[in-house]
Amino acid sequence: MNNQTNVKLRLSNSELWGGSIGLALGAFVIWSGLKLKLGTINDPGSGYVLFYTGILICVFATSIIISAITEGGPTLASRWENVRWSKPLLVIACLTAFSFALEPLGFLLSSIPLMLLLLRLIDPVRWTLAIPIAVLVPLGMWWVLKRLLLIQLPSGLFGIG
Amino acid sequence: MDTLANVAHGFGVALTWINLLYCFIGVFIGTLVGVLPGIGPISAMSLLLPVTLSGTPESGIIMMAGIYYGSMYGGSTTSILVNIPGEAASVVTCIDGHQMAKQGRAGPALGISAFGSFIAGTFALIALMLVAPRLASIAIAFGPAEYFSLMVLGLVVLTFLTQGSMPKALLMACIGVVLGLIGLDSITAQPRLTFGRMELIDGIGLVPVVMGLFGVAEVLLNTEQAIKRDIINTKITQLLPNKADWQASAGPVARGTLLGFLLGILPGGGAVVASFASYALEKRLSKTPERFGQGAIEGVAGPESANNAAAGGAFIPLMTLGIPPNVVMALLLGAFVIHGLQPGPLLITQNPGLFWGIVASMYIGNVMLLILNLPMIGMWVQLLKLPYNILFPLIILFTILGVYCSSNNVFDVYVMIAFGIIGYFMRKLGYEPAPLVLAFVLGPMLENNLRKSLILSQGDLWTFVQRPISAACLALAMVLLIAPLLPALRKKRELVALDEGA
Repeated sequence: MNNQTNVKLRLSNSELWGGSIGLALGAFVIWSGLKLKLGTINDPGSGYVLFYTGILICVFATSIIISAITEGGPTLASRWENVRWSKPLLVIACLTAFSFALEPLGFLLSSIPLMLLLLRLIDPVRWTLAIPIAVLVPLGMWWVLKRLLLIQLPSGLFGIG
Repeated sequence: MDTLANVAHGFGVALTWINLLYCFIGVFIGTLVGVLPGIGPISAMSLLLPVTLSGTPESGIIMMAGIYYGSMYGGSTTSILVNIPGEAASVVTCIDGHQMAKQGRAGPALGISAFGSFIAGTFALIALMLVAPRLASIAIAFGPAEYFSLMVLGLVVLTFLTQGSMPKALLMACIGVVLGLIGLDSITAQPRLTFGRMELIDGIGLVPVVMGLFGVAEVLLNTEQAIKRDIINTKITQLLPNKADWQASAGPVARGTLLGFLLGILPGGGAVVASFASYALEKRLSKTPERFGQGAIEGVAGPESANNAAAGGAFIPLMTLGIPPNVVMALLLGAFVIHGLQPGPLLITQNPGLFWGIVASMYIGNVMLLILNLPMIGMWVQLLKLPYNILFPLIILFTILGVYCSSNNVFDVYVMIAFGIIGYFMRKLGYEPAPLVLAFVLGPMLENNLRKSLILSQGDLWTFVQRPISAACLALAMVLLIAPLLPALRKKRELVALDEGA
């Protein structure tokens, strides 16, 4: 592997980042376990398993970090090389916006724009097809769930749906 | 005689019109998700888990099981015709199946794949029928120590077989255990890791976690590349393999069936491992191994039989011990729990109608699949032409609706989106989600059995090694944990390691 894809002791090493996140998570789990009380080995408490699982997380994360330092690993950038990285980011942005809009706007007013955006952003579907799909599919699903299965979907502040 | 009477009782349950309908829906959806690359049985089953609430436990579980073994049939169609595996267990079928299709032999490839699957599926059912009740009677003697050690073994086997580095897989399994422990402690009723949110008191739901990690994350990964499809356009004729094809395939089908069934029973194993192992075995046994990769029918017959036999075998640990051997079975366990049922040694005696009904429905489902996959092959080929830029937004909408309907709770939709995003980055950094999901399901059971055995033994850790079954499981788990440290064994692991999540 070349320098670009297999780097040691550099902040761009993706393995180092993965291991560090794991280590932080493990430390948090250990702290949570201790806070919940470990109990005794005769009568383990609520934090007993959490505490020891936290220790295991730290052990495995440390082993990932050590191997990242000694053997190197791909850079963060190389993980997104030769792919359309903007597409998943756009989908993530749409889903995040949708999760903020779902409760205040309700299912119909939030899912129609979501569908339209996804249909146009992933690999653009022509408008004449995208608009009917984006409107009719959520509307159809809403009708089936509300009328046939009697499931109330969120209707939002405007009470639509 | 007892077995025959039980089977008759099972057919009585499976042949009611509602169960036949659910069975058909299950195998149809299974074939559909098997055919469509990008959605696997895990996503489809998690999507339909809420639907099982509306019917009887038999109907729901019959449908879920149908999706699983149906996807094993459907997966081969895409592998052979498009050279893209419909699901992970069909990856190996691409190698020779697509070559056969390119040589104008798509019909025999599809034919032997369907017949091999049918034979293996039927064998697995007969074996399930004979083995499960006996194993269940032995499992009654299992105590918390045995259960704990078996679950540890299951998790270690899965992490051993997962693609990529073992510390990463073990880290994922530990995170899965922690996520499974969120909510009220089952012994002390103390809230754990709830951050003051009422929605977390009952823990995180299996459906949003699985749909996020497998459904949404899969779509995000697939959007990175423009999927090009090389569909075989010639008309598919002569689906029945000829005499020479049958002669060449008889051995691989028989070996694949046996191997697949045995690997399916093992905790952590499953259809994907079975198909890879069968391909390797056939190549090794062949007098002309150079034909493999060039369109050898044995390379289709063996793996396709193996993955179907494994799908049947995987029901044994779930039904008899209550331990899901893989993620798909973990979802099925979720379906049992939704209906207030606990799979395990007592299931067969306490709910004979349910157990034998599911077994009988699988016979019926296999026949349905043979009809769906041979005479109706043209329909599935047409479906392969569905554009992905329309399919992916639809999958996202269905996952949102599926999650919301499973709990009527918007919070679960947020959880699913969060796990979808986490799952995408996890996969990009080489962390597989399968060990996390299995550990998430097994986590609470693992903790419960560990604490129970420590209380019962008054804190004596030797209880885990003094009991022979528990000791054997822990010893095997230890061997698998140490194995990757030895260079020769590490190489072997890399050969069999797989992407369970696909």
